[in-house]
Amino acid sequence: LTTRERAIGRAIRRARVASDAAAAAPAVARRTWKQSRARVVSQREYGAGFRWLELELPAGFVAPVAGQFVQLLLDFPSPVLLPRPMSVASTRRVRSKLRVGFLYAAVGAGTRALAELPPGASVSVTGPLGRGYPLHEPGSPVLVAGGRGVAPLLMAADELARSRRQCEFVFGARTAGLLIGVAEARARLARGGSRLHVATDDGSRGFRGDVVGLLAKLAPKLERPVVIHACGPHGMLAAVARWAMANDARAHLAMESVMACGTGVCRGCPLPRSSEARARVQAEGAAAAALKGNPEWAMCCTDGPVFEARELDWERVS
Amino acid sequence: MKSEPRVDLAVRVGSLTLRNPILTASGTFGYGDEYAHVVDLSAIGGVVTKTVTVKPRAGNAPQRVAETAAGMLNSIGLENVGLERFRDEKLPRLRALEATVIASIGGETPEELETLLRALGREPGVGAFEVNFSCPNVAAGGARYWADPTRLERTLAQLKPLTDKPLIAKLSPDVTDIRDTARACERGGADALTAVNTFVGMAIDLERMHGKLGKATGGLSGPAIKPLALARCWEAAAAVKIPVLGSGGIASGRDALEFIAAGATAVQVGTATFLEPEACTRVLGELRAWLAANGIARVTDLIGAFRAEPAQEASAARNGEGA
Repeated sequence: LTTRERAIGRAIRRARVASDAAAAAPAVARRTWKQSRARVVSQREYGAGFRWLELELPAGFVAPVAGQFVQLLLDFPSPVLLPRPMSVASTRRVRSKLRVGFLYAAVGAGTRALAELPPGASVSVTGPLGRGYPLHEPGSPVLVAGGRGVAPLLMAADELARSRRQCEFVFGARTAGLLIGVAEARARLARGGSRLHVATDDGSRGFRGDVVGLLAKLAPKLERPVVIHACGPHGMLAAVARWAMANDARAHLAMESVMACGTGVCRGCPLPRSSEARARVQAEGAAAAALKGNPEWAMCCTDGPVFEARELDWERVS
Repeated sequence: MKSEPRVDLAVRVGSLTLRNPILTASGTFGYGDEYAHVVDLSAIGGVVTKTVTVKPRAGNAPQRVAETAAGMLNSIGLENVGLERFRDEKLPRLRALEATVIASIGGETPEELETLLRALGREPGVGAFEVNFSCPNVAAGGARYWADPTRLERTLAQLKPLTDKPLIAKLSPDVTDIRDTARACERGGADALTAVNTFVGMAIDLERMHGKLGKATGGLSGPAIKPLALARCWEAAAAVKIPVLGSGGIASGRDALEFIAAGATAVQVGTATFLEPEACTRVLGELRAWLAANGIARVTDLIGAFRAEPAQEASAARNGEGA
């Protein structure tokens, strides 16, 4: 080692110690995200215009949990500038490396370019980011998915199965053709002893109506408290949140937002806090965790993306 | 093994010596600690913190960000924790991280800026203050309010006695002639300038016939503005004797070097951090490598190297002054 390299090593160690000391301060979550290069393992059509992407990340990348997301950045030259927040649909270890799956639709310039990437191509991934579903919360877990919102919930079902817990899985879409990967979902759920319940608006499959209608039918048969974990369009999530609040259930909803940084610094992804949450944040005052003290707005990226129903003002969620 | 030639990267901004010329831009690096696990804050030139105001601000309604060609618009609205929490929670953490801290302060009136400097002016751990005279996204005390050279000069003269630390005036590019605001700040006693903040821009969603931001306009940043920002930085640097910090679309060592050649003493990396959290570290490495490869022993030797080009200077003077 040269003197310079030793000096750099000392500087890094000093910074780590300082960083650890700073992170040890109360009420500040230890940050584990980082940016890594990732390799495209495979991409395949998943039906209804959706694609399944699998990326391989280095062993040191912390595995995301259900409900968390990563920022996916295409290499130069890319048609878009900013990274795209992508909800994680699966994780597995293959020879110590981490394989992460995503379900996405190629609808914009960025996702269309992503769809073009062949196996072996590389991208940058920052994560894991945000707060996932609190699956450990006691009660009867009911997973509620709308359309492509199914991805993180299948992952949640797998996580529950690993801790030997079963769940009710409510999967809704406008019509049968949009129940993305429903056969795979049924098989995966059955392996863990969980049950799939399907709802379509047009009645082309399963219950005719929306997921809230099906939820209302299902809930009385379950042991209380009912704990919902949901993902889907914001309109659906608002309906689930209102049902949960009216029926003394808990509901954890995975929200979406346009984002820039994804790490909490740009303050670009606000969601309106409920009056209840606003009062609590104000009362916590200086004791609130770093950057969480905004009584008006929660940040989707760091306060979420998963929020309990009572945290947000659903009248103002767009 | 042949060792890399040593390059002296230290630069001076008023009484403050920066270990190197790479800083983070305000509003893109939080209060520093958010990135401390991936960026060695003690190795970069300094951290310019999110603009702090006297009272906490909740910020603007969504949407706050929108991507545009090679850039992004933002309308955050100076969301920040306010003076008290900044001083009591954020500053101690930055001190622990051994960062050179440039605290960005913002106010709707000269009096608010005075309040901030009275509270923070002698706070240990703050190396300098950057006064945000150029936020494009607030109803009061934004770029338009501070575009008046007389107001800038008078305000800086009021602020100057309140601190021994350097005062850096961050300028808006959206003025008729940035040399007027730059000179006014110098006359008022600014120790340095930052050129420039974001450009006012907008984008419309035609189907909804609604702005892509919650407010009609926002601030444009990213690679799209680099040539524009470089020109403003060059003009400002040529107009004053105080140091200028270049800012606007810097994403590589070469970008940073262009600003330095145009007269910047140091530069700020902003939007690039949103793509790559460690962007400032990479920019620093690239800058050091380029200087070493080109046999430049001190980064200060390059400051204004382009400005000194006689033919270009003469023609620019003709274009600038003649019309």
